[in-house]
Amino acid sequence: MSHIGGKILYGLVNETSNHLIERVFAPWPDMEDIMRKERIPLFSLESFRPLTDFDVVGFSLQYELSITNVLNMLDMAGIPVWSEDRDEKYPLVIAGGPVVFNPEPYADFFDAFLIGDGEEVLLEFLDCYDQNQDIPRQDLLIKLAQIEGVYVPSLYTVEYNADNTFRAIEPRYPEVPTRVKKRVIKSLDTAYYPDKPILPYMEIIHDRAVLEVMRGCQRGCRFCHAGIVYRPVRERSIDTLKRQARAQLENTGYEEISLASLSTLDYTGVNKLVKELVEEYGDKGIGVSLPSLRVDAFSIDLANEVQKVRKTTLTLAPEAGTQRLRDVINKNVTDEQLFRAVEAAFKSGWLSVKLYFMIGLPSETLEDLDGILELLQKVKAIGDNYARKPVEVRASLASFVPKAHTPFQWYAQDSSAEVEEKQHHMMKSRKKRIKVSFHDSQTSYLEGVMARGDRQLSKAIFRAWSKGCKFDGWSEYFRSDWWAEAMQESGIDPDFYTHRSRSYDEVFPWDFIDIGVNKDFLQRENEKALQVTTSPDCRVEGCSGCGICPNFEVDLDIRGAN
Amino acid sequence: MRLRAEYRIGPELKFLANLDMMNVIGRTLRRAAIPYALSEGFNPHIKLSLGTVLPVGLWGEKEYFDLELTMPVETASFIVAMNNAFPSAITIKNCIPIDNRTPSLMKVINSASYTFKLCSGGINLDSWREEFLSRKSLVVKSRGKKKDLDKDLRPGIFRIDVNNSQDFDIINMWVSSGETINVRYDELNDILMATGIDKQNIQDVYRSGNYIKHGAEFFSPLEQVN
Repeated sequence: MSHIGGKILYGLVNETSNHLIERVFAPWPDMEDIMRKERIPLFSLESFRPLTDFDVVGFSLQYELSITNVLNMLDMAGIPVWSEDRDEKYPLVIAGGPVVFNPEPYADFFDAFLIGDGEEVLLEFLDCYDQNQDIPRQDLLIKLAQIEGVYVPSLYTVEYNADNTFRAIEPRYPEVPTRVKKRVIKSLDTAYYPDKPILPYMEIIHDRAVLEVMRGCQRGCRFCHAGIVYRPVRERSIDTLKRQARAQLENTGYEEISLASLSTLDYTGVNKLVKELVEEYGDKGIGVSLPSLRVDAFSIDLANEVQKVRKTTLTLAPEAGTQRLRDVINKNVTDEQLFRAVEAAFKSGWLSVKLYFMIGLPSETLEDLDGILELLQKVKAIGDNYARKPVEVRASLASFVPKAHTPFQWYAQDSSAEVEEKQHHMMKSRKKRIKVSFHDSQTSYLEGVMARGDRQLSKAIFRAWSKGCKFDGWSEYFRSDWWAEAMQESGIDPDFYTHRSRSYDEVFPWDFIDIGVNKDFLQRENEKALQVTTSPDCRVEGCSGCGICPNFEVDLDIRGAN
Repeated sequence: MRLRAEYRIGPELKFLANLDMMNVIGRTLRRAAIPYALSEGFNPHIKLSLGTVLPVGLWGEKEYFDLELTMPVETASFIVAMNNAFPSAITIKNCIPIDNRTPSLMKVINSASYTFKLCSGGINLDSWREEFLSRKSLVVKSRGKKKDLDKDLRPGIFRIDVNNSQDFDIINMWVSSGETINVRYDELNDILMATGIDKQNIQDVYRSGNYIKHGAEFFSPLEQVN
């Protein structure tokens, strides 16, 4: 219910087309038990109709490990999980979202993937479906595959080399494109955005009016998947955003407006927008919130202006512990900036700060890990110096997972053992009121398998789900032992996908998905990482040659400053 | 200006918890553009207070809230604006201006009535009622905070009406709420089971009213505002 993409597509279909869209979510396992026992098929929340009554069932894949939940939901609905087992009497099963920029691990379960900005392609897809309902499924799929941004995996054959690496993917019909181009909204400013989102009675995560101030981010952090696949940056104008804020507030009565994007502080109109929203709604007790802060004093100043920012915990993401490693990943933040930011924060009343880091980044050494600890101690010292009482410093350390379509897609991911050793190293020198927490290494490992996986993984996914794997993103349900068994029984070596560095001439299973950014740009960025050289943001210092603008005939759409 | 409103919250929303109810009212006030007053302080909130908490699982025929406004508003237009903005399961039925010195709902509401709707054809309710009221004590295991202590509900049960119709039977119980004896509806449920009402026969339970009891008389919070 919190996902903006879902709200956009829901409103888009229901308000602007003749189609109808309803919601369904994975029930929690206790509810699932009862539904299965009572033989209640999975149904939609609006009309309580079983999913088999619908023409199309679509999933938004936000996270690699949600795939077992997809299979489970299909099964609960009485829909065969393998696409080849579904004929005309079953709905088309489709997916979109960030995960499907590498759709191959899930290819055998879905009839089609919608790649890129969903609001750009979904209606076209549904119209095409509607006009061709009566033709055989195979013919329908061929028609759908001709829509730009639609990938129909069953219409392609996949070949592998003797060493199990990917060789080629070829369409089986001449009408079907060899490369699938993501869809891009050229102007976010004029794109549909819901003024009247569903307002649940119970509290949801992100229970507030959300404005998407921009899409895309061109900072160019080399580990970041979203920063590459959602290019180019497209901003909404302040006028549009204020109109959307007014409409949403009038329709929902929400008490808070959140400014969402990959990096909201980079929105060129952020100061003016925040100021004007606070002016307009502040006296009604309606606050503005900034979901993520950039690591500099400017962002603290802005946060101080925002009402209702409860000065409980400030969250910043330096990502790496030393300047060298931050340069490698192109996270253009200096120690100095970080210290100034926390100083400003502690001076103005914050008592606790949370810092995000990654471990297992390319070229990382023990020095970088110690650098994280030193950084934490310095931050703590600054806090104790400026705050009115001892501050708390928390660090959350995620394991780096190399993602498809990023400059780090060629790297070997740390094995779970390596990650655990690093975690152990960091836990040796713990300090008072500095808390360090880690992401589960097994979960990150499986995420890594999927992130750069290929079609051969589908049998392992199916086996894992058959053994009972679901809610893999929830540590209380995650069963790494079942996953290991499933991989083994399917003849899959997961290390092949994670713990193996690739050469530049290797063909990747996701190369045929055209995201607009050239592979040689990614390679150049990786080379610069090896040389510890940074790349500037193209909005500030000119084009970095990623390819998105000429390839897709789009342009940066900067509107906030006007 | 202060207002006191009486509202109905229908069975569709019987699973709404108290905090969610506060949110619904707060959001409705904003949608209806009511000039609500805000508390001072770093984290301002609407000066809205509800009467006694409606238990999750029950709907309410006559529930109450007090609201402070920054400027005078006609009660009739307040009702219209709010009812247009409320979800259909919630309706304000009545509303009066109250004095700033009027004590809060929490302080004055001291009793409530719960209605149990039963399938008809169960036990004879008139004799059940007579037998029930003749008891000197009705001990249950206490629910809520002081869990599992023995608790005598009898002094907190003021009045019982029963009603037989062709389709269903009704038991209406007026009980004490608040500090002296707080009779919870789930404890009432237990006592009904213990005195011969079949759980399977209970079709619906709701709170039919909240009252200010003076002596033997029950007043609505809209009647007794001083």
